[in-house]
Amino acid sequence: MSDHVTLTLRAPLEASIEADSIVPNAFASLGEPEIGALPVWAGRTRCALADFFDISGGRSSNVRVVGDVRHAHGIATGMAGGSLVVDGDAGSRLAGGITGGVVEVLGDAGDDAGAAMSGGSLRIRRNAGDRVGAGLPGASRGMTGGEIVVGGSVGADAGARMRRGLLFVGGDAGRLAARAIIAGTVIVIGRVGPEPAFASKRGSLVVAGGVNVPPTYRHACDYEPPHVRLALTYLARQYELSLGRELVEGRYRRYCGDASTVGKGEILTWIQE
Amino acid sequence: MYVNGVFIDDTFAEAFPMRAARIVVTAVNERWAREAALKLTGFATSVIACKCEAAIERELEPRETPDARPGVSVLLFAMDTESLGKRLVERIGQTVLTCPTTSCFDGLPDADRRLTSGRALRVFGDGFQGSKVVGGDRFWRIPVMDGECLLQESFGVAKGIGGGNFIILGADTRRTLAAAEASVAAIANMPGIILPFPGGVARSGSKVGSRRYKSLAASTNDAYCPTLRPLTSSSLPDDVHSVLELVLDGLDEQSIQRAMRAGISAACLPGVRAITAGNYGGKLGPHHFPLRSIVGAHADGGARA
Repeated sequence: MSDHVTLTLRAPLEASIEADSIVPNAFASLGEPEIGALPVWAGRTRCALADFFDISGGRSSNVRVVGDVRHAHGIATGMAGGSLVVDGDAGSRLAGGITGGVVEVLGDAGDDAGAAMSGGSLRIRRNAGDRVGAGLPGASRGMTGGEIVVGGSVGADAGARMRRGLLFVGGDAGRLAARAIIAGTVIVIGRVGPEPAFASKRGSLVVAGGVNVPPTYRHACDYEPPHVRLALTYLARQYELSLGRELVEGRYRRYCGDASTVGKGEILTWIQE
Repeated sequence: MYVNGVFIDDTFAEAFPMRAARIVVTAVNERWAREAALKLTGFATSVIACKCEAAIERELEPRETPDARPGVSVLLFAMDTESLGKRLVERIGQTVLTCPTTSCFDGLPDADRRLTSGRALRVFGDGFQGSKVVGGDRFWRIPVMDGECLLQESFGVAKGIGGGNFIILGADTRRTLAAAEASVAAIANMPGIILPFPGGVARSGSKVGSRRYKSLAASTNDAYCPTLRPLTSSSLPDDVHSVLELVLDGLDEQSIQRAMRAGISAACLPGVRAITAGNYGGKLGPHHFPLRSIVGAHADGGARA
């Protein structure tokens, strides 16, 4: 048993691999040889983890991946516990469907990060692609719990169909952010692209950097929403984010919608004073 | 045993198990947090007639509260979990929910047993309420006329202790009250402790039942009433003419011991003749706090100074 397991990429990945066997809680009962023998798919070819990574340590649910794994997809799929640090960029479908544990990416992440997650936390220090925190293709729900904190910007469909949970974006969000959310909270410190919170039923889209509010949302009031203050305070403390007091203590303009659905959702836009 | 020339009686305070909740009230500023907390803890001196005992534990800095606003921590004690749940719903609903700008949070997040008082109160929102999960805890957003009231869904239940006490026997009212005030000041802001009586002090110490009125659950502690010295079997020395009691409720024995030690030491002022404690011969509750062992380190060595 060791403190942690380190997977060091042996050589740059020239083609994509499916690395959904890198699941920290599964490593807790495996030694080095067993971890190295876990399957990795390179196209239609079944390979082993040890074909791509040098593995040190075993029987630990704390895992560090070293190297540029932007072409390694599905890392931490279904993770239920432990911790994973990706020491660089990560590929798509990172932390899909996780139910617990902590995943941190020090660089960028590809599309579908945190898709269908229901617990745990995912932190991406830089940017993430499309559909962060959204659902799997065809699914009626996006993330149903847990927290995603992205330091940079995200692509389209961030948090789409979210049912519960918290998605924080430190930069901008692309089009259709918080699309059709059922509940939960999406906070964007930067700007949000076109058609925000389109067809959302409930849930909150909080925007500090500017957004074109759709006509299907109606202005309710300008106030200091206590849940935004609570969420931002929590995020600042838990993830050591430096959020300005003006955001935490500020006033927000509340719009109710989407009127094309049950209309119990909201867009809250920060009022710069 | 004497402390600063004050006799410490060789007796013990007898306390009993209660159930406790810690409620954190925050508001736009200290004033409104305190206004809500004062109402929340109103009419909560004794379970005998108030159904619960409650008081402000301490004021909280913004860095100590979940929403980074000024806050007040309140402890509320009841005889059982069911009763505690009812009191929380009644009191939070009528005092915190009604008070401008307030939010209400659980102060016992590690407690396994939970009461879903916030969930019960959500229906005031008449269907317009909503909830948010932040940090794994659910909070209810109840629309009110100044915006929204944010209530945590569940509150932790702790196994608390009620009825810790000590009694100050003084030469006159003025100096006995000064000693009680010093005691309260020494205990103020100690974590896990409240003094539920007015200003932390009770003058109407009681005995169980009544000599004359059979339906009474409690009646005056005639043995400690100076005006009854010749009429009853008095427990008062001749030079005692005023008696005040501090009643302490705490989250654990250590908190009560720490507070009693500080309070008794502070009360040993000129004009105070003795410190004693209330007990029922060990028949009331399992928690016993012997005065002499609690204040031991502060004693004068057994001689009157």
